[in-house]
Amino acid sequence: ANAPLPDLAGGKMARAVDTDKVCTICHDANYTKPIFPIYQSRHGVTADSRTPRCQSCHGDSTKHQGDPTQHPDIVFGVKSGHNKNAVDAKTQADACLTCHKSGLRTHWSGSQHERRDVPCAACHTVHAAKDPVLVRTSQPEVCFSCHKEQRAQEHRISHHPIKEGKVVCSDCHNPHGSTGPKLMAKDTVNETCYTCHAEKRGPFLWEHAPVADNCTNCHTPHGSTNTPLLKTRAPWLCQDCHSGDHAAALNSGANLQNGNVNTVNGVNPLANSAAKIQMTGRACMNCHVLVHGSNHPAGSKFQR
Amino acid sequence: HAADVAAQAADAGTPQMVRSSTVEVGASYVSQDSFKAGEYTGMEKKGLTVDANIGLHGGDADSATRWNVMGTDLGLETRNLQVDGGEQGRFRVNFGYDEILRNRSDSYQTPLIGTGTNTLTLPATWIAPTLPRVSAATINARGLSSTVTGAMGMVTTPAVVGPPAVAAHVDATAPTTAQLATAAALQAADLPAFHNVDLYTKRKAYNGGVSFDIDPRWQVAVSAKHEDKDGMKPMGTVTRANAEVSTIIPDLIDQRTDQFNASLGYKDDKSFMKLAYYGSLFKNNVNSMKWSDYSVNGGTTQLQISSAPSNEFHKLGLTGGYDFSPVTKLVASGSYARNTQNEQFVTDPTDFFVPVTSLNGLVVTKAIDLKLTSRPIHDLSLVAGYKYNDRDNRTPVNIYGFTDAQNPIAGTSAAPNASFATAINAMYPNLAPVSFAGNTSGNFNLNANRPYSKKVNAFNLDADYKVAQGETVAAGFDWDKTDNYCNGSWIACADAAKTDEKTWKAEWRANIHEDINARIAYEYSKRTVDYNEDAFLAIVPMANVVPTGVAGVTQSAYQYLVAQGLTGYGPVAGFSGAALTGPAGYYMASNNALANAAYANANRISELIGMRRYNMADRNRDKLRSSINWQANEKLALQGGFSYNQDDYANSTYGLRNAKDFTLNLEADYAASETLSLSAFVTHEDKKSRNAGNSYTANSTAANVNGFTAISGGCYATIAARNAANKIDPCLDWTMNTHDQVDTLGLTFQKSGLMADKLSLAGDVSLSRAKTDIGGNGGNYVNNPLAVAGAAAGTVAAYFVSAQDLPTVTTNIIDLRLNGKYTLDKQQSVHVGYAYQYMKAVDWAYDAMQVGGLAGGLPTNEQAPAYKVHTVAVSYLYTFK
Repeated sequence: ANAPLPDLAGGKMARAVDTDKVCTICHDANYTKPIFPIYQSRHGVTADSRTPRCQSCHGDSTKHQGDPTQHPDIVFGVKSGHNKNAVDAKTQADACLTCHKSGLRTHWSGSQHERRDVPCAACHTVHAAKDPVLVRTSQPEVCFSCHKEQRAQEHRISHHPIKEGKVVCSDCHNPHGSTGPKLMAKDTVNETCYTCHAEKRGPFLWEHAPVADNCTNCHTPHGSTNTPLLKTRAPWLCQDCHSGDHAAALNSGANLQNGNVNTVNGVNPLANSAAKIQMTGRACMNCHVLVHGSNHPAGSKFQR
Repeated sequence: HAADVAAQAADAGTPQMVRSSTVEVGASYVSQDSFKAGEYTGMEKKGLTVDANIGLHGGDADSATRWNVMGTDLGLETRNLQVDGGEQGRFRVNFGYDEILRNRSDSYQTPLIGTGTNTLTLPATWIAPTLPRVSAATINARGLSSTVTGAMGMVTTPAVVGPPAVAAHVDATAPTTAQLATAAALQAADLPAFHNVDLYTKRKAYNGGVSFDIDPRWQVAVSAKHEDKDGMKPMGTVTRANAEVSTIIPDLIDQRTDQFNASLGYKDDKSFMKLAYYGSLFKNNVNSMKWSDYSVNGGTTQLQISSAPSNEFHKLGLTGGYDFSPVTKLVASGSYARNTQNEQFVTDPTDFFVPVTSLNGLVVTKAIDLKLTSRPIHDLSLVAGYKYNDRDNRTPVNIYGFTDAQNPIAGTSAAPNASFATAINAMYPNLAPVSFAGNTSGNFNLNANRPYSKKVNAFNLDADYKVAQGETVAAGFDWDKTDNYCNGSWIACADAAKTDEKTWKAEWRANIHEDINARIAYEYSKRTVDYNEDAFLAIVPMANVVPTGVAGVTQSAYQYLVAQGLTGYGPVAGFSGAALTGPAGYYMASNNALANAAYANANRISELIGMRRYNMADRNRDKLRSSINWQANEKLALQGGFSYNQDDYANSTYGLRNAKDFTLNLEADYAASETLSLSAFVTHEDKKSRNAGNSYTANSTAANVNGFTAISGGCYATIAARNAANKIDPCLDWTMNTHDQVDTLGLTFQKSGLMADKLSLAGDVSLSRAKTDIGGNGGNYVNNPLAVAGAAAGTVAAYFVSAQDLPTVTTNIIDLRLNGKYTLDKQQSVHVGYAYQYMKAVDWAYDAMQVGGLAGGLPTNEQAPAYKVHTVAVSYLYTFK
């Protein structure tokens, strides 16, 4: 038989708030840390009988009630000099997973963050009307507080609009664990990328092998000095895999317009030559532009 | 007074149950137009913009009913509006709207007319550019530049392999009056046609969803998202219809993506389950782009390139979890997905054999994920996992006949074309017989598609053991085995049919002091593959056909390779001496690579023996991660991090040889007081990669250049000796090194409590300085442009030109933001802000986009990003219940 529906009868709010008074009589609106904003969050919808009371998460904390110098049973947050009484991450997670086991937390157990003792409260601010990590404009800063390389990459000439708040970490990653690599939101890197870049999904008549394999063979997603989000510049990126026909050619400074061409006897007979089209401008992509795949019967070389 | 104190105490103990609402309206002034500065913000235009943010919240404190209306940047092209409401614990409804702007270029120029459509034409007055001083007949876009035409006339030949492409030198003589008149005429006709086209894309997304809590255990949810993506982006195109030229066209973007999610979830104390459907339908309203060939007067020849095909993806998944005990849990998930694509093919007159009208593409993906976690003893955590992912591409394989880049079909039928036609007719008995009578062996392709499939089996075992309070050691092992294949391909298509990668992991982390925690982790991976240098033959099925009418040849190209113990790349040998006869002379004359004509492909598609594509090459990978966090005192926190990665492709003679990078992070956070906090960080990244190649050409018996024979430098003294060893000349080996260095600095501060606690200030500045250096070793031969008829006896025929470093590419970026908030009263505040954005990019790649830069490419005059933008903003915020 199903469990009964939540009791949403009137008056629940007052009774719930009264229940919390054992805590809020001291930790009131004037307390140094903001406590009351939780009542404006989904945790604070007291008419929903599933929502917790203070002691649902922090424990009965009997000693703390009798002696404020004693800490509550369960203190949340990252253990530090500032927060010496924080309990271990697993105990904190268990308190949250009592209600939040399913959904996005399905793969939490054994995930990267779980194994490295990252407590829920390291990212989530529960005593807030709106948890900053759930707000698109403020989420990246929460993640960047640990992921500093990605923060730096966001400041490069080519980047996803993360710091602009238009693409956020959780669009591609599930920090609670996933079936994909690097906590990808989908099963694979490509499936995750195709969520926004479905035009590259195909299947194409002419597939480019590294594209079907993994987008990150050529791209680095957070930010790059090479537009568009390329690991290295073309044509050398292309020459990492292609060495035949004109891809066999050496591409060096001698190939630039008026390239500084020195020969063994010092003469410079090649000045004023044009730049080499396979190397500059858009390099290989001046001609082989459909590198993600072509659906033209004549597109096997990604030109059509 | 006592009553006030009592009232305040009562008020302090009574929480507000429903969020306050806010409305913020403001205006900003931007000092300068800049597409790049406003790339994603919608603030790219100089002048005044009005903006608004709203946060409206409501509901009944005594019930579970709540609703929210959240809007940000409502006055900009990046606006976002989200509305949600419902009765918590019963149901929730949400819908929203979001715009994403991506500015690409506001300096792009083109002479093409009709931008914003998929048909681009040139003015009737267009004159195909040439460099008359060199040749009035050879198409040369440098002729658009009066400078090049007048003083720097040197024709280029893109087909020449090696730097720089050079033909005849003509600086010795001044341009004739007729040449200058011809140049002036084409410049007068063409240059005025170039006009600016702003290139940008815009996404507009509409989303909505509803979820019902059937009871505390069961929940059902459905959601949908519709996105329109419109605009234009720059796209390279090439043609050989008249001359081989490239044109960067404004590619029209008119795409729709619809995504659907539906799920049924169950949970109880010990288990959970979720049945979910995900669908993604992509529709492209542009099936091709057409543009006029600039190498034809009046642009009367129209060319075509296909656009991304519409496609669909449908996925059904089931995930479940069960807690065998409080310390032992199993999570299992499985999914089945179908990705289809059957867009009508775009075809051209030069596609002389197209057996089907659409792809009928199908990719079936099956995935399984199992994860068992347990804590057999209190301090030991174990994770065992298995993943299976099978991307099974069931797209039919067919053979398609075409000429490269719409190169006109020319010539007469000759062996082995007749035998290819016979083979095709046997493969497609239901189609009208073909003869390829109009095609020479040299300019046509008979290619077969390669539907890449990939089957991954991955296992992992990880253990974390708490050796002491606050100290953990961890170890792990991953094993990934991947099978790569193509259904229906006549020969194995994957560069490596099997890859096997094992990873060993070790980690230590500890609170080495109550105020200091540290972590160091190391991973070593070893990937081994069965690399297959014949895999490229899958695209040329005629390599499996025995040609008829060729004297002494009774084997197909592939049969010959196998018999000789060679790969498709041919022998590593110089000229054979006496001309080879029979199969050797036919397939690999002069010990060169497999002849294109032998397998019906217009360009040599072989690779260097020893080249390994890095995503499927043997690889040793090292990863090091370390960090330390120190809460120095109650005010100061310091953090440091160092990471190092190294990929070594020791068995790759050519291609990517190695890549390594390290990153150093330092950060300090200082809480000077309850009202002042400061933070600073610096990140340095250093990234290097090295690849290798060989700029070989074909062995030959050619012994002179315009009658001259001497070579200056290199490994051979004469043209004859060099040409006899073109395929094995050690001087043609090259390596190129790429070195990226990026420094990023950030400073932030927050100060409150000013002016009787009415004023608070905040600011942050970030500086990013990136530089890329590319250089290398090796070189190649370039004919001496002075070695022309009439030159002095003994003139050097060719020089060995060594590799030159490229100019350093730099990008400097500054982003400064200052904000102030003045509180008028409990409900009202005024915000002021100032932002300074600076970018200066120096990149040689843009030089070639200017008039006179490229012989074979139409200029776009695009400029490297550079801006100095000041923005001031003021807004009024009203808060109410």
